[in-house]
Amino acid sequence: MSAPRKPLRSRSRALAAVVAASALALSACGGGDDAGGSGDDGGSSVEPVSQEEIDEAMSTPTTLTFWTWLPDAQKEVDLFEAAYPDIDVELVNAGQGLDQYTKLRTAIRAGEGAPDVVQIEYQYLPSFTLGGDLLDLGPYGAAELEDTYPEWVWEQITQGEGVYGIPQDIGPMGSLYRQDILDEVGITAPTTWDEFAEAARTMRQAKPDTYLTNMPGNDPGQFVGLLWQNGAKPFGFDGDQTVTIDLDTPEVTEVVDYWQGLIQEDAVSTDADFNDQWYQGLSNGKYASWQTAAWGPVFLQGTAANTSGLWRAAPLPAWEEGDTATGNWGGSTDAVLSSTENPIAAAQLAKFINTDPESALTMATEQFLFVPSDVVLEDPTFLEAAPEFFGGQQVNQLYTDLSEEVDTDFGWLPFMDYVYNSFNDTLGTAIDEGGDMEAGLQAWEEDITSYAEQQGFTVQ
Amino acid sequence: MTATTPAPTVDALAADPAPRRRGRGSTGRRSPLLTVLVLLTLPYFLLPLFWLVVASTKDNADLFTSFGLWFADFNLLNNLQDVFTAQGGVFWSWIGNTVLYAGVAGVGAAFLATAAGYAFAKYSFPAGTAMFSVVLGAIMVPTTALAIPTYLLFAEVDLTNTRWAVILPSLVSPFGVYLMRVYAADAVPSELMEAARVDGAGELRIFFTVALRLLAPGFITVLLFQLVATWNNYFLPLIMLSTPSKFPLTVGLAQWQSTAAGGSGAQALFSSVITGSLVSVVPLVIAFLYLQKYWQAGLATGGVKG
Amino acid sequence: MSAPTTARPAGGASAPGRAGPRRGPSPSVRRQRRAAYLLVAPFMLVFAAMLVVPLVYAAYLSLFREQLVGGNSFVGLENYARALGDAAFGSGVVRVTLFLVIQVPIMLGLALLFALALDSGRLYAQRFVRLSIFLPYAVPSVVATLMWGYLYGPDFGPFTQVAEMVGLPAPPFLSSGWMLGSLMNILTWEFIGYNMIIMYAALRAVPADLYEAARMDGAGEFRIAWSIKIPAIRSAILLTVIFSVIGSYQLFNEPNLLQTVAPNVIDSAYTPNLYAYNLAFTSQDLNYSAAVAFLLAAGIAVVSYVVQLTSQRRARS
Repeated sequence: MSAPRKPLRSRSRALAAVVAASALALSACGGGDDAGGSGDDGGSSVEPVSQEEIDEAMSTPTTLTFWTWLPDAQKEVDLFEAAYPDIDVELVNAGQGLDQYTKLRTAIRAGEGAPDVVQIEYQYLPSFTLGGDLLDLGPYGAAELEDTYPEWVWEQITQGEGVYGIPQDIGPMGSLYRQDILDEVGITAPTTWDEFAEAARTMRQAKPDTYLTNMPGNDPGQFVGLLWQNGAKPFGFDGDQTVTIDLDTPEVTEVVDYWQGLIQEDAVSTDADFNDQWYQGLSNGKYASWQTAAWGPVFLQGTAANTSGLWRAAPLPAWEEGDTATGNWGGSTDAVLSSTENPIAAAQLAKFINTDPESALTMATEQFLFVPSDVVLEDPTFLEAAPEFFGGQQVNQLYTDLSEEVDTDFGWLPFMDYVYNSFNDTLGTAIDEGGDMEAGLQAWEEDITSYAEQQGFTVQ
Repeated sequence: MTATTPAPTVDALAADPAPRRRGRGSTGRRSPLLTVLVLLTLPYFLLPLFWLVVASTKDNADLFTSFGLWFADFNLLNNLQDVFTAQGGVFWSWIGNTVLYAGVAGVGAAFLATAAGYAFAKYSFPAGTAMFSVVLGAIMVPTTALAIPTYLLFAEVDLTNTRWAVILPSLVSPFGVYLMRVYAADAVPSELMEAARVDGAGELRIFFTVALRLLAPGFITVLLFQLVATWNNYFLPLIMLSTPSKFPLTVGLAQWQSTAAGGSGAQALFSSVITGSLVSVVPLVIAFLYLQKYWQAGLATGGVKG
Repeated sequence: MSAPTTARPAGGASAPGRAGPRRGPSPSVRRQRRAAYLLVAPFMLVFAAMLVVPLVYAAYLSLFREQLVGGNSFVGLENYARALGDAAFGSGVVRVTLFLVIQVPIMLGLALLFALALDSGRLYAQRFVRLSIFLPYAVPSVVATLMWGYLYGPDFGPFTQVAEMVGLPAPPFLSSGWMLGSLMNILTWEFIGYNMIIMYAALRAVPADLYEAARMDGAGEFRIAWSIKIPAIRSAILLTVIFSVIGSYQLFNEPNLLQTVAPNVIDSAYTPNLYAYNLAFTSQDLNYSAAVAFLLAAGIAVVSYVVQLTSQRRARS
């Protein structure tokens, strides 16, 4: 395991004295004690926590802080609090994605204000395990959950023997189409990317205001998901000091070249996604399809409600006819910080929310997350749901099947926020401007490589 | 503060300057041409605000489908309800925090600056000039560039993510000290202080009982200055705070905006962001309109006497 | 607003008539000094803690490098050398300099015109005009940027809607070519009124008799404005220039918030301040970020000082 980083603390103790002296007025009102220092990394060979210890912890009055941006997370928390009346959960929405991670790092660095349980997306787990900031949940009853998740999902949350998060939802990728527009133009949902390109051109000619799809320059998550589908393995981290950055492979270049061609002939649009323009594009038929993850169908129902009944779901087009592989885009875990004073209760909360049948089903059917636990993926009411929005199609069943097709062995770098930010500045800009995506790809690789070296990693 | 009238400038500061000018102005003749020219530029300043009012009355769908500069279905009340109930009514906390931060920082900064500016103006003491020069130089230090080191320091003393983290740095207004020094030099006559001394008053008593009253207009100017600066501050609280219930309006609204644009399962909050913006603007606009003459007065001091 | 001219020792303190001991200050002077220190102390304390210490700390931090792997080490001035050769930082500085050179004269020029128009006393609805122009300053920059972000929208913004109505192509406010201009517009909108009020207030305080003579000589309003009024408020104008210089180099809120609308146009180093922020919080490179922030602060101080110096020299010549 990597040595836990103790930023600032030891280094500037002398300086802190100076500061304390000159800022005497401040320290008087600081109020916080330095309780967060329990970050010592016990490794992963810790004895499992016994049931007695769990029972004791769960009947001791405790307050937990839980950071999540899941809307209405209170529903699941209520269930948890009903099951464990002595535990009080304080729910905080500290922003979504990067906003929240920034705040989380701030709190970790400050040694104060960090939550006990926190929502973290899969690709960001390594950036927190790197500093020893996450608790290994294995000894807290997570290890036995292995069989209840698809294999690739389990791979995503483990590092060596350690289990660093409980999966909340996943995003195996498929394709959503506006069936009415496809019919109007006379094309069927393409099954290969070659067909897809053809259809994109046809669409442009037949319906000048519509694009078959949109390729945003600001969504590394989606783009990486498409690389994942093609079997690329651009990133890797050995959990210690060595990272792999490999963007110059045939699997990657094939995807980049493909989109570059479509973008440059204006066969697809390149609007930034998840902003107001793009929402409108989805609801007013500017885009006739969206290559999206399992959370996409429900998301669409909320943002393009006026197009109900017009959409259909299908797998992603394949690179080779008959190929069924897909990638993953998004999804989250609930992780426990190693600084928590109540590791048992915190781990129970993370587990309960995502694996208690009632709680997990609530998430799946009311908040519409794609919960990967068997308690949901094997539940008939979930699988057989046939939303009117998709013309009665059993979308959940489709995505459940797709989730079996995700490549198991896809890794991340322990600094994905930098990687994604850098994507926007390089490859993403090339997409946005219809520029040279090959060069953008190269710039991206160089940028993250030099960052990794700067940060002291050995780059392979 | 008996018969001694402060210098003429001070008079001008305290009162609305308009009456003084009548008669002195050109020929007093008004120009329709100039008026029309100026009025033609006003839509530039007012149209965005008009848009804000119009947009606050629309629901999410109308925001993107109806004409931006005119009303569609009237949903203001719904929007307001959303704003004040979203995420457990956190908007209320944001308003409270903003008022708290701006109020404490405004009063605190004004008081510190008044005491210091008065001392720099009315006493000569070793290192006084040197200190004042340092303070003056600090006007040029970009406060945002300092926010990150300040954040790191606060992390050392466990002050990040506390309300102090926003308030303490906002208590320092070098420009306020400069303003008060210039202002106090004229507003508090030395003879008056001398007279008070003869009556046996201590120096601090002179400040609190005699000078402070004369310095009131300057005090209010600095207060307003810092009030607005803190009200509008975004960078500092963005860095310092991580718990939403401690956010001021600016950070909260920006977070809603990025959540609205954030995707994956989030609600579309656009109409709440817009209506919340309107709500956050209204108090300041009212304060501005109401206290406008103090503003002008105080700024006149700083600008003229430099 | 220059230190040397204002720093005249204030009266009253050391009244020479009152004979005291030859050596050392008299008891009353000592009392006054004590009072002066007491009055200055609270501010100076907070000032030191909130401004001086962070500045020193930034300088200190900037001499180290902390890596995600390998820990912390002293690197001397390496971070500065890196910053000076950093193309991303450089392009940000160039961009805000360009911003400064174009936007500040426009904004201050307009502010001055409005101030003069108001001061001429020839406007109907004077109060309404003054308030209308000043109103945007009451809008927090966060809100102002959100607003303009919507107004600029390339599909549904009002400008686009109007352009479509009259059959023109939509103005691409958020494209990379237009973005800097669009930012300039937001800043101009926000701060014309503020600067106008500073200048207007200064104009009101110019003694009227200065004009009378010129008017007697038959000078027109424009001439009076040009050769009497503007020189009379030069220190107020200087103040607005320096504040604008500082403001431009510190640009953060507006580009940061427009990033959600135009993520690929505004990159992570669009302005130096945005760069420093991203270095600290995305790259987790606090030391380098401190160096950048420190360089930025030093740069601003130098530029403001130069502005002040040249204007003083010009005033004297």
